[in-house]
Amino acid sequence: MEEKKSLWKRITGSREASLVLILVVMLILVECIQYFGGNGHFLSPTNIGQIFRNNALTMLMALGMLCVLLTAGIDISITSTLAFAGMIVGMLQKNDVCHNTFLLFLIAALIGLACGFLNGLIIAKGHIAPIIVTMGFMYIWRGLAYVVSGNQWASGADVAQFAEFGKDGSAGPYIILIAAYVIFFIVLKWTTYGRRIYAVGSNMEAASVSGINVDKILVSVYMIMGLLAGLSGALSVSIYASAQPNMQYGKEMDVIAACVIGGVSMNGGRGSVVGTFLGALFYAVLAKALPLVGLDSIWQNLIKGIVVLAVVLINTLTQRAMDRAALERREM
Amino acid sequence: MAGKSGRTISIEPKKGKFFRWETGLIFIFIAVMIFGTIVSPSFNIKSVFMNMPKYLAEMFMMYAMGYILIIAEIDISVGAIVCLAATMACFANNAGLPFGLQVIICIGIGTLCGILNGAILTHFTELPSMIVTLGTQIIFRGIAEVSMGSGGSISLTDTKAYAALGGSIGIVPIAFILIIVTALIFIFVLSKTTAGRKLYAIGSNHTTALYSGIKVQKVRMICFVLIGTMAGVCALFLLATSFGANTTTGQGFEMDVISMCVFGGIATTGGKGNLVGATIAGFTIVLLKIVLSLLNVSGQTILVVIGILLIVSVLIPSINQALTNKKKKAALAKA
Repeated sequence: MEEKKSLWKRITGSREASLVLILVVMLILVECIQYFGGNGHFLSPTNIGQIFRNNALTMLMALGMLCVLLTAGIDISITSTLAFAGMIVGMLQKNDVCHNTFLLFLIAALIGLACGFLNGLIIAKGHIAPIIVTMGFMYIWRGLAYVVSGNQWASGADVAQFAEFGKDGSAGPYIILIAAYVIFFIVLKWTTYGRRIYAVGSNMEAASVSGINVDKILVSVYMIMGLLAGLSGALSVSIYASAQPNMQYGKEMDVIAACVIGGVSMNGGRGSVVGTFLGALFYAVLAKALPLVGLDSIWQNLIKGIVVLAVVLINTLTQRAMDRAALERREM
Repeated sequence: MAGKSGRTISIEPKKGKFFRWETGLIFIFIAVMIFGTIVSPSFNIKSVFMNMPKYLAEMFMMYAMGYILIIAEIDISVGAIVCLAATMACFANNAGLPFGLQVIICIGIGTLCGILNGAILTHFTELPSMIVTLGTQIIFRGIAEVSMGSGGSISLTDTKAYAALGGSIGIVPIAFILIIVTALIFIFVLSKTTAGRKLYAIGSNHTTALYSGIKVQKVRMICFVLIGTMAGVCALFLLATSFGANTTTGQGFEMDVISMCVFGGIATTGGKGNLVGATIAGFTIVLLKIVLSLLNVSGQTILVVIGILLIVSVLIPSINQALTNKKKKAALAKA
């Protein structure tokens, strides 16, 4: 019995579509409050630019986290990797070793890649729970960031030239973001490698039996995550024009939350680049909109937490309803 | 990952084995102690006890976290619960409530948070505890932030009772005595009672446990409420040394506590490990922190040491396993 799905069903059935719907409703609401409150447009180019710039790190790392979550893993060492790579980049400039923006980004990315490789190697070859391994490295890289810093900060004057790349109005962060999202979209959707990641996450044993080198995929996924975390380290120094060993402390949970809102399953095999983008964007818009509608910044975390939990719970309820409907149809 | 079905329910490692995890831990503990006496002239039992209360508070949660990990769950909201409970205790203190009531509020808030976690997890059984506690973590800290207002911190006005709580009987800190009592109770329940065995059964195989008549959801609920309560106790002892709370209070505690458990030989995949190991591991880390602080090493350097300890401690059993598998294969090939 084939019947055309109604538009409503199609929207509520697809995670991406319902997220777009919620986002649009939220944007219109905030825009209305802003505009009729006499405060100009919310959706001005400056505001939109800031939304992306302020959350560039979360958005970038969410891509790597998507890959990791797709293999049913998790990586909580990312912000430590970020701090470690960022701190090295900062110290290289403070001590006048290197001031070449491209070279510094390359160094940060390579450091991240190496960190990720270690993570992946131990997880894949040692068969140890990813959360434990990455927790260990979370401590190690964060501690090393402090050691590298020698209790000093690299401040605005030290990184002045480097900060040109990420300063307000510069196209740098946007280019990196767009490039990363396009590449990941293509790779995850249309390449063998991308499909293999999904295969490993859906059923590791089946993937292994069908000839996929599971260990290799696992290591590569954590390397990608590390690479993005390293890049984010350099980007963070560039955007905020300072390098401190405690930067982005605890923000790994924001990255995971963005993925979860975007419909990425923590059991692996489920999630998409579009969903991740929407999840991260949702999180970002929320952070920007709350102060504008009159809620103090101290309310942000509470609202964010409620949203994350609500999204997760609603998702479970709809999933249950869908399962029940499918069962009923089968019984007919 | 696969292979879960083949696990046996046993807390005791095979007898007659050359290497037991707890033995190794004791050696590490002694090594840290020797290291301390060599490098620091001020390292003696008195200075250790004097510095101890600052680091002990986390250990209260370690035992409950051990239970949670053994049933193959995880709770990353405990740090935020500590923050919220400490904040509320400060408010109660500033309102001039009697100390007993403050204690009840502090521990009660922790318990309430635990009940919330447990209720969500038992009603939505398909959700992983990681996601749920990730959400509640942000919420709990958010509530604390909102109630602290724009200043972002709050301190006790009447510190007398708390100072007494952070004090010591003779040279032994009160916190230390209570930790030992807690340890004994938790270890006894885990290894000598049916309740404890149920935890292992659930952690080893959730479905089998359910079919053999264990009320899995009830046990999960109790465990999550328990860790909330212990987080409240932790907040109380944290206040006894810090006399205040701010938005970063308790940040990273969840990871510290989990790493103590894992370092003590508890597997996050459930059904494995015991709290004796975790206790020794916890004290080793506390001792290490004290030694490094006596040496005036910056507090952050210890992160590297803890991280390396953690990774090495999870790698050793895995390498061990790989070696035995190889031997078995070789033996099979011969036969």
